[in-house]
Amino acid sequence: MPPTVSTGADVVAPIRVPLIAWLLAVVALGVVYLLLQENGLVTTGQIAAYLHEFTHDGRHALGVPCH
Amino acid sequence: MTTPTLGGILRRGALAGVAAGVVASVVAFAVVEPVIARALAVEEARSAGTPAEEPLVGRAMQVAGGMVAAVAVAVCLALVLAVVFATVRHRLPARTDFGRAVLLAFLGFVSFSLVPALKYPANPPAVGDPDTVGARTAQYLSLIAAGVAIAWLAVLVRQVLVERGWSAPLAVTGGVLAGVAGYLALMLIWPGGTVEIPADVPARLIWDFRVASLAELTAMWATMGAVLGLLLTPRTGGPAARADGSTSATGL
Ligand SMILES: [Zn+2]
Repeated sequence: MPPTVSTGADVVAPIRVPLIAWLLAVVALGVVYLLLQENGLVTTGQIAAYLHEFTHDGRHALGVPCH
Repeated sequence: MTTPTLGGILRRGALAGVAAGVVASVVAFAVVEPVIARALAVEEARSAGTPAEEPLVGRAMQVAGGMVAAVAVAVCLALVLAVVFATVRHRLPARTDFGRAVLLAFLGFVSFSLVPALKYPANPPAVGDPDTVGARTAQYLSLIAAGVAIAWLAVLVRQVLVERGWSAPLAVTGGVLAGVAGYLALMLIWPGGTVEIPADVPARLIWDFRVASLAELTAMWATMGAVLGLLLTPRTGGPAARADGSTSATGL
């Protein structure tokens, strides 16, 4: 952009972010939790065990506490 | 200066997440997996003699699962990054959206990955006590939450200093100092790790794993910030690019 238009500091207009966008972010964080942290709090039994084992390399690699 | 729309930021965020996930999964495969293989050899030697039970998920599937997890996590974190970006864009001290995106991704990297990695370093599969995983998870998650708060504080400090008439470099320096002090305080206040390294796991293996894990996380965040920033950068140049740039300025 041409430097003559932008005068620099603090002329940036805020963007309206509706609640639904934040709900999306919360859901996304929930998925991250399910993939990396879930140790039986949400899912149980076979599904939990399978999810845990399937993502096991991934959670260790991403530095998440495990076992 | 053009203001991107929320939808445009989210779409670019999703794309940045895919790119970050692919890069992270390549690093996972090339750098982390060889170290995990060494750790599994230690585990195997440990259980030598006892009859091996059938694993729930085979090794090849676990390697694939690690890569799938890296992509899924990167996409989700990039969506969060995009929403946060839209919310705090006007508070971030950079002149371009590229600079703002890279700065925000850097703050995300420090809060979500670097500080937790320094306080509670990653361990390969052969290390760990199942009885303490709940407590360790609570420490880890609360540290991340506090780290996000520190990042927010640093941005606010810089903003307050600007409003008080401090010059831009001094205000940024003040924000950085506040952030560094906050993170140092977190490192001192939070409880120490409870993981004991078993005697049969070589120190070299632990070190290699921690470096490899941090490399994957660094690659993920760096790609996320750079790609989001590039996608938000209006294309200027030739007439064709200019037409494209004007649609992205108004249409997205
Ligand atoms: Zn585990």
